[in-house]
Amino acid sequence: MDWSWSEEHRAFRQKIRDVLKKHLPADWESKSKLDTSSAYMSRFSREFCPILAREGLLIPHWPKEYGGGDVDAYHHWILGEEMFAVGDPRSYQYMNVNWVGPAILRYGTEAQKHAHIGRIAAGTHIWCQGFSEPSAGSDLASLTTRAERTADGYVIDGMKIWTSGASLADYCFMLARTGGTRHEGISVFLVPMDTHGVRAKPIPNLMGEFSLHETVFDRVAVPESARLGDEDQGWSIVRQVMHNERIGQPRYTLSMRALDRAVARLKDKGRFGGQSVRADAGRAHAALSAAQSLALKVIDGRVKGHPPDALTSVARYALVAADRQVADFLGAYLSDDLMAAADPLISAAYRRTGSTGIAAGAAEIQLNLVARDHLQLPKG
Amino acid sequence: MDLDLTPDQAGLIDAVGKLIAPFATQPAGAAQDFLVSAELEDRLTDSGFRDVATVEGMGSLDAVLLTEAVAALAYVTEFAASAIVAPKLGIPAGRPTVLMQSLDAPARFLTGGGIAMIADGDDVRVMDLADREIEILKAPFGYPLGRLRSPESGGERIVGAAPLLRHWWHVALAAEIGAVARAAVDLAVQYVKDRRQFGRAIGSYQAVQHRLSECAVAVEAIRQLTRRAAATEDAQDALIAASYAKEACARIIYDTQQFHGAIGVTYEYPLHLWTYRLRLLQGELGSFAETASELADARWG
Repeated sequence: MDWSWSEEHRAFRQKIRDVLKKHLPADWESKSKLDTSSAYMSRFSREFCPILAREGLLIPHWPKEYGGGDVDAYHHWILGEEMFAVGDPRSYQYMNVNWVGPAILRYGTEAQKHAHIGRIAAGTHIWCQGFSEPSAGSDLASLTTRAERTADGYVIDGMKIWTSGASLADYCFMLARTGGTRHEGISVFLVPMDTHGVRAKPIPNLMGEFSLHETVFDRVAVPESARLGDEDQGWSIVRQVMHNERIGQPRYTLSMRALDRAVARLKDKGRFGGQSVRADAGRAHAALSAAQSLALKVIDGRVKGHPPDALTSVARYALVAADRQVADFLGAYLSDDLMAAADPLISAAYRRTGSTGIAAGAAEIQLNLVARDHLQLPKG
Repeated sequence: MDLDLTPDQAGLIDAVGKLIAPFATQPAGAAQDFLVSAELEDRLTDSGFRDVATVEGMGSLDAVLLTEAVAALAYVTEFAASAIVAPKLGIPAGRPTVLMQSLDAPARFLTGGGIAMIADGDDVRVMDLADREIEILKAPFGYPLGRLRSPESGGERIVGAAPLLRHWWHVALAAEIGAVARAAVDLAVQYVKDRRQFGRAIGSYQAVQHRLSECAVAVEAIRQLTRRAAATEDAQDALIAASYAKEACARIIYDTQQFHGAIGVTYEYPLHLWTYRLRLLQGELGSFAETASELADARWG
């Protein structure tokens, strides 16, 4: 057992930091507000991701034959840690490189690879994820958006909701029902967002500028070549390509920075002397460390090629619990800074940590999975 | 980075597991606050497991791994202090070790025999307990307890060693809490699978599942944090592990007992052997808030 980073991993992290230092503007925090979903961040990502691509930092975890570097899962996680720590200047392109691209590489036809992989690897296009629906959230398999066969393809009808970045995106990786019930009969479609009948309407919210949308698919005609994989195979595709996403982003890096900043500000104001503020800060730091150490254990399993297990849900829940403590700490001790929007990092962390428990799926679903898969408790 | 156990470590855990297996469960008919066994103590001493940290090629992490096994037994025995803490202060290991916050403080395992390591200002006193008069204390915790009858003097002084004692005491404490908490949660998980009410296992109710799942998250986190603290030898990591572990005690004590109902507070059922240890451990070296605050001092000054 060895908790220290190898020379190679340390050098990789340093390279990312150097690139960030060189290419993020000096007033990055105030400009971007560290909001992945902002119009600014999304525009920035279309310039920044091509730089990452040139530096070999956009898809280092992809196979070499598709422009990647075949690096291990720790490199990939380090990349996520460093990006998330500064609000993720890749904007929603992090999804492209983490799972959309890999899904197309694995299940796509040559024509689909030709159409999409080059653009994703160049860092110029943004994808969104069309999964949740008004009546299909945690119970995703109950989705009702339909894709009806036509002579030369499909017509998609239905509504997606909570779609992140939909009004900024070029493509949507979406699920629609092609038959059957529940998990059977769901297919994946790759739909250009400028297709006639696709309408994305932002939902004003507390998380970020364009982080939530209602996305309507109104008689959207797509060719058969828009379907990824076999018809009715969507559920297993999503399970395969998303299993690494259950743990989500390494959110603790932004939260740790925000906690450090919060303490520095409290010290400047002479408000870090009491035991309760110190204990609450220490407690939040310990919780973030717990989330980090469990996440690293999960990534260690990936590096060794173990199939994902219940520890993923354990780690995800620890992340939610830690972010909640950070949100509570900032709210309790720095409400003056939050009211005055005095520090973009603190405001961003307050906004983002407040929703960790619902982002990437409800935390209670993770607890169900811990109960079922980790503790082997009986079904209700 | 490699977070798997080495084959040597897996072998070590396997070997100690076999050695201590007879002491894993409560014997039928037992009805005591805690269970002790001279044979268990002898086995651990004679086998040399207490000295693991001083063996070439091994270290504190191996001592923590062994503590995870030994501290989870139904029988209680001193191991963490002798295996994890004593070697760090250069004390020849091999004997049960009592950790004390002051000369007059009541302490676990202070019942005669072994040595004591006592915080005394910036220094640590090391005392042979063989010829000391000891008052045995009876209190509702799952440990043998006692205190020195004449606490004014004695022992050899290690100058300036108090911070080092505290550092490794935190690691030992986190390892013990992790082991005891895991045993309590394991017992509760088994109980809710077996116990049926309203025609179904009570472990099938989501209210029960979610709370035990939160306990399980804490137990897994304590293990990772403690192993990391042992491996990095970093004082801040030790405080992180101890602070997190202490905070988790309250939840685990309450929930594991709650899901057992009344059987969980009887002597015939073994849950108390672990929950009542946690009740003591959560306050050792200060409250959770005090440890969290000490962590804040270490991180932010």
